[in-house]
Amino acid sequence: MFSRTVLFSCKRAPQACLLRGLATEASAVSAAPEVVHVDAALSKKTARPNLHTGIILNRSPIITRTPTAFEKAYYAYQARIHRALHNPFPYEFYFKQGSPLESRFNIEERRRERKAFGAPFGVQTGETSEAEKLAEATMRDEEEAMPRIHEADIHSDFKHLNRRGQRNLYLLLQKQENGAAVWRFPQESVEKGELLHHAATRGLEVECGNNMDAWIVSRNPIGVFHPPSPVNVDSAEKNAVFFYKAHIMAGQVRPNRTRAQDFAWLTKGEIKTRVDPDYWLGIKDMLSDF
Amino acid sequence: MLTSVLKPTRLPFQTRGLSARLYSTRKSEINSDPQKDIIRRYLYPANIRNKATPTGTWRPDVARALQRAIPSVQAHEIIERAWLLHQRHLRKKREAELQRKFECMKQAMQELEEIDSRLFREANKQEDPRARSLAEVEAMKSMSEPEKRAVESRVRGLFPRELRVPADTPPKNGWPFEWRAFPRPLA
Repeated sequence: MFSRTVLFSCKRAPQACLLRGLATEASAVSAAPEVVHVDAALSKKTARPNLHTGIILNRSPIITRTPTAFEKAYYAYQARIHRALHNPFPYEFYFKQGSPLESRFNIEERRRERKAFGAPFGVQTGETSEAEKLAEATMRDEEEAMPRIHEADIHSDFKHLNRRGQRNLYLLLQKQENGAAVWRFPQESVEKGELLHHAATRGLEVECGNNMDAWIVSRNPIGVFHPPSPVNVDSAEKNAVFFYKAHIMAGQVRPNRTRAQDFAWLTKGEIKTRVDPDYWLGIKDMLSDF
Repeated sequence: MLTSVLKPTRLPFQTRGLSARLYSTRKSEINSDPQKDIIRRYLYPANIRNKATPTGTWRPDVARALQRAIPSVQAHEIIERAWLLHQRHLRKKREAELQRKFECMKQAMQELEEIDSRLFREANKQEDPRARSLAEVEAMKSMSEPEKRAVESRVRGLFPRELRVPADTPPKNGWPFEWRAFPRPLA
């Protein structure tokens, strides 16, 4: 304990540490102005910056990624091997003999065999029965699944939330900063005494409206950005923007017209083309690549 | 993983030299239920181990099918190596992205600690799923039943239900644009 106090006092006033044990009124008074001077110098360096919270509002992927050509080929290859080697399927247990479901399964299975191994496999033995003809008819009339590419992709509608279903989309707002139009994440200044994640929810509601089901992931910020202070402002004033990650699950953004003129849901590559180079360097590591 | 399937498997030690006993077959009875027979044959397969496959039979044309499926042993090994390499590339990319994100978060928390210790402490607090904040309790007093359920269903610290898992094709109705504005009380 004694050594710690000695070290602490040494930091503040080197001369005083030797006289610590013998401190008198006079030496205390002489040490005080030096201590005050050192404190003032320290506080000037670490002035508290103005705090802001930014929101990285993410629309997660809706559909799975398209496999690459290599992946597709590998999956088909593995499927062929498993089909060649698997134990016999207990058809009798799963399909009642003579039922239309059995006929449909047989048709589909013959097609799969033909596709996997080629011509001699999957050849139909005997004539098509009544049930098989029925099954073929129902297979033709069945409805298909939704296409993976949406019309928003074709028309490049950047406001539409169905665009680029495989990718992560992030919300950018177009704001006016010193007369120029810049693209930024939604941002809000933190009030005195307010917690950061509360400021984030409030900021999201103010800038983007409350017509969407947004969920802020946690109390922790995911990144920090120091915007360069403009030339005409006093250099001692600094700003720090703490970013929070949020997910949108329903609804749409209705930007506050006084604060933002336009909005867009963009992928990481598209954000790079629209945003200032300094801002990009600050935010690029927080975003998902795909 | 797959190469082990292609090598011939050994018979287990215990069954060598023992007499075979088939519990799944029965003397043919004229009034035996065929459905029960099917179920019995499926649930209790024959336990004679006199084939290379451990559980049942191969398909009748297994050699021909395998010849069609695999080009050659060497080609198969090269394909396996290429796949593992591809998986490694993906894994490294994913890990690098996570590392970058983590560094950003670490930097942010370090700066927050320097700026304000109270905010730092609050940001580091563990979320208790069962806790209710004062604002929530106050707001719940004057809410309708569906609204109360909406507040209770979103448990703090857990992912919400509405965050969907990606599927192969998009949902039939697309993105849910119609969503009633619900002011959630501060957590």
